[in-house]
Amino acid sequence: MTEFQAALGQMLAPKYLGWLVDGLWMTLQLSAVVAVLSTLLGVVVAAARSSRQPWLLLPAGGFLSVFRNTPLLVQLFFWYFGVSSLLPDGSVEWLNTVHSVALGPYLTLTWPSFELLCAIFGLSLYSAAYVSEEIRAGMRGVAEAQRLAAAALGLDRWQGLRYVILPQAIRIALPPLLGQYMNIVKNTSLTMAIGLAELSYTSRQVEAQTFKTFQAFGVATLFYIAAIALIETAGQLLQRRQRLAGGTQR
Amino acid sequence: MSMQLSVLTDNLPYLLWGAYPDGPLGGAALTVLLSAGSALASALLGLALGVALSLARGWPQLLLTMVLGFFRAIPVLMLIFWTYFLLPIVFHIDVPGVLSVMCALALIGGAYLAHSVHAGIGGVKAGQWDAGLSLGMTRMAVLHHIVLPQALQMMLPSFVNQWVTLVKDSSLAYIVGVGELSFVAAQVNSRVMIYPAEIFMFIGLIYFVLCSGLGLLAGRVAAHFGSAQNWQLDQAR
Repeated sequence: MTEFQAALGQMLAPKYLGWLVDGLWMTLQLSAVVAVLSTLLGVVVAAARSSRQPWLLLPAGGFLSVFRNTPLLVQLFFWYFGVSSLLPDGSVEWLNTVHSVALGPYLTLTWPSFELLCAIFGLSLYSAAYVSEEIRAGMRGVAEAQRLAAAALGLDRWQGLRYVILPQAIRIALPPLLGQYMNIVKNTSLTMAIGLAELSYTSRQVEAQTFKTFQAFGVATLFYIAAIALIETAGQLLQRRQRLAGGTQR
Repeated sequence: MSMQLSVLTDNLPYLLWGAYPDGPLGGAALTVLLSAGSALASALLGLALGVALSLARGWPQLLLTMVLGFFRAIPVLMLIFWTYFLLPIVFHIDVPGVLSVMCALALIGGAYLAHSVHAGIGGVKAGQWDAGLSLGMTRMAVLHHIVLPQALQMMLPSFVNQWVTLVKDSSLAYIVGVGELSFVAAQVNSRVMIYPAEIFMFIGLIYFVLCSGLGLLAGRVAAHFGSAQNWQLDQAR
């Protein structure tokens, strides 16, 4: 066990801690964007799955089946290597070069790298296949009478969904949805395989540079646990606020 | 088109079983072995920890909940880094990559299944416990003969979901260079260079067949159990 003691004796230099913090920042940004996009897409898929039209029902079912029954890693490889080979010549080069738009003297929008674009795209599609099922379960949890009441008020099917069913469904689905958002944070680690410098990638980089394996992986692990704990806490606060709000409505 | 298909047919044996029999087993065969091994280990671990979680009270239960929470909070990839790094140090032997990945997958799968088993045991009505105890059975005997058989049937769907997840997560062995399906696919891809879409779509198809096949099989097993149970109930009436 002397190896352990020796390993624990030395801390990481500030420079390497900085790398890990950069990695964490990338992980958090990517997770936030993917959570938003997959929820939007998830609502669309859930709506299609609860439709009676076969031309909506079948593609939505196919989407779920394909994206839930293949590994995320293979999906990321497909988007990263496969799609770049299918796109017209030059477009990948264009996507890979830096484009920035200056909005005023202080704010500059930079076009994301091809790795980041693939990560956002691939993760959002994969996560939507899980998020949509949680939303659909939430929709089924809303009483049928609510839908009939919406129809009786003269709302069409889409309006009823938008103003009556979904707000209640999201509330019911909140706990499992938060679980999916935690999965998104954890799944961002796979994007290191396509070269995105997120937390797992930087932890491995620090490990290779310093040979302080224990510290590099230890700090990264703590960062992941902190991110998950943050979502857990946010969820509990949200649910408490909802209970209070629900109390005043009644 | 023929060129595109030939990239698959030329590399088919390598994708399916690696360099075997001239070299180590790899490809889809290794994916199946890796998944089956970690499925078995995670089921045993999940069952043991789930029973422990249901029987423990006070601080041991809190400790166990925290340990399980730890495994559920970290990415599988991070745990693979840990087992790959720590197992050789702890056991002072050379641990093959496949085993460290299997260990990581079993720990995470076991942590998730423990909660399903705990919930399943909690879902069996309290009267079943009382009935067993009043017959003079010990707590372990009630658990073994009365509670678990009922709980396990309820838990079958979560076990199958976990196994599908395991098959998919076995692809992460790529990161530490274990020659399973994703790894050999990436190898073929970087050697051939020009047909990445075809290669990864084909690999995806193999995973799809494995995962959805597992789901179908579980559905049939559940239907069989369900009808068997109904039949027993009919006989009892």
